[in-house]
Amino acid sequence: MAYIEAKGLTKVFTVRKKREKGHLMREKQQITALDSVSFRVEEGELVGYIGPNGAGKSTTVKLLSGILTPSAGTACVNGLIPWENRRQHVRDIGVVFGQRSQLWWDVPIADSFALLRDIYRIPLSSYTKRLDELTDALQLESLLRTPLRQLSLGQRMRAELCGSLLHSPRLLFLDEPTIGLDAVSKLALRDFLRHENKENGTTVLLTTHDMEDIAALCSRVMVLGHGKKLFDGALNDLLARYDTSRIVFVRYDGDIVLPPLPEQCTSERDGDGYRIVYEPAQVPTSVLLSALQAAGPIRELTAQPQSIDHLIAKMYREMDL
Amino acid sequence: MNTIKLYLHSMRMLLKSQLQYPASFIMQTIAQLVMEGGEFMAVILIVDRFDRLNQWMPGDLFFFFGIMSVTFYLTECFGRGVTGAFPGMVRAGQMDTLLIRPRGVLTQVLCSAIDPRRISCIAVGTAALVIGCQRSAVQWSLLKVLLMGESVLCGFFLILGLFLIEAVFCIYSVKSVELVNALTYGGRSACEYPIDIFPRPLRFVFTVIAPFALVMHVPAAYILGKPLFGWPAWVALVTPLAGLVTFAVMYVVFYRAMRHYRSTGS
Repeated sequence: MAYIEAKGLTKVFTVRKKREKGHLMREKQQITALDSVSFRVEEGELVGYIGPNGAGKSTTVKLLSGILTPSAGTACVNGLIPWENRRQHVRDIGVVFGQRSQLWWDVPIADSFALLRDIYRIPLSSYTKRLDELTDALQLESLLRTPLRQLSLGQRMRAELCGSLLHSPRLLFLDEPTIGLDAVSKLALRDFLRHENKENGTTVLLTTHDMEDIAALCSRVMVLGHGKKLFDGALNDLLARYDTSRIVFVRYDGDIVLPPLPEQCTSERDGDGYRIVYEPAQVPTSVLLSALQAAGPIRELTAQPQSIDHLIAKMYREMDL
Repeated sequence: MNTIKLYLHSMRMLLKSQLQYPASFIMQTIAQLVMEGGEFMAVILIVDRFDRLNQWMPGDLFFFFGIMSVTFYLTECFGRGVTGAFPGMVRAGQMDTLLIRPRGVLTQVLCSAIDPRRISCIAVGTAALVIGCQRSAVQWSLLKVLLMGESVLCGFFLILGLFLIEAVFCIYSVKSVELVNALTYGGRSACEYPIDIFPRPLRFVFTVIAPFALVMHVPAAYILGKPLFGWPAWVALVTPLAGLVTFAVMYVVFYRAMRHYRSTGS
């Protein structure tokens, strides 16, 4: 059996609207945050979970970690139903919320870790070993005596990760872990996650808006929109569908007005050059090139694919999210 | 056993973090002293004016005030998670982090806050108790000491139970409900005085709904040597258990309500 197995997970929130004039009772509104989502995740997989804001990503994580009870459908994680066997289930999972701290604000992080040891009932020997391993990998040794409130965002995220991995969970949920981190911290975090997944076989479910996280880490990606699962497969397969256009930057010697290009191309001035977007399937590159060359002496020309963010935005648009 | 160890460890750490801001801590402790001292002054003034209330002498009234003060503020000090911090925890989503740990929710809520500033209120209450015992010339016996301990302990659970009502509302509406304060803070202010001075409807409220009278007044009256309605000692031993019953009922309701917890934000 798969490690995580979700079948028809549905979560409906009832939101009470403001009372309107002339009405005695407030109207209730049903919002479907998650609409019959099914998937399986095998042990040791590193799965990315993406979708626009409000798509239901966090709701899925909260259901699978036992925080919420679903309105319909069921899920099984390692043979347990998260919201029914909460205490037993959470012993084997770690959750990192990017925007919510799990450590204690005013005490040194080492003290927080010691308390977590009591909470998870970790034997002292395995605790010291694991702590050494984690502080080493996350470069936390020098920060252990510093209160959480004095850490920078990147340091805090590392501390949070350490805290949620102390009990060696077999499944790790990460809810936007790289939010607000600088480039160095992001790269270090990704390295660490890859290592943790590979060495300890930890299954990781990662929700993020940062497509580079997904590209760097996940072999498999699930797309969620309006509470429905829209795609489940390899990132490259997903991108191939939308990765159809190329961008060309061209700069001429002197000030040259661009001649009319084939209809399907869009061009705009960009600094002292031009930025042209075209689809090679419609306009062969050689055609475009000869049109550009005919206009005058080209000083510089670069061609590149669209960024992943653009592709995802395009995908969201096409899926009408 | 492990749970108690966890609680003590948590308390140690919370105390440490509160002492990170010593000036603020000292000032707030003094503020609490002034507040509770004022309450005590009110009792002293009443005693000064009327010299007796029904059959209760000044010393008796100090005693009633003292036992409520000590019990209530002990609860607020050690049960801060339930009596004060809970609505904020639900609103800010801290509840989520408790739910992903392999411990009971209520245990963790209790482990997540302490309010050592209340120490000054407890001191005022203790002073009132001592003065009351002296002026009423209480004859202590082993039974009376036991009764006193039982009353404070059961009172602790009663007050926790009453605050849990508010917690349950919070789970549903993510907002605290002031109405419940009538039972908790209202109960504290009213039941600083013995139950038999109140009109019938209030007696009903503080005997049946929020049984402060059963938990505190019945044993206190026995200790003062003026048992309510002439009840024998065993009655005074049994009635405080109403506090535990209140807590048990609210405990069950609380865990039922937690199934409807909806979390906030992402």
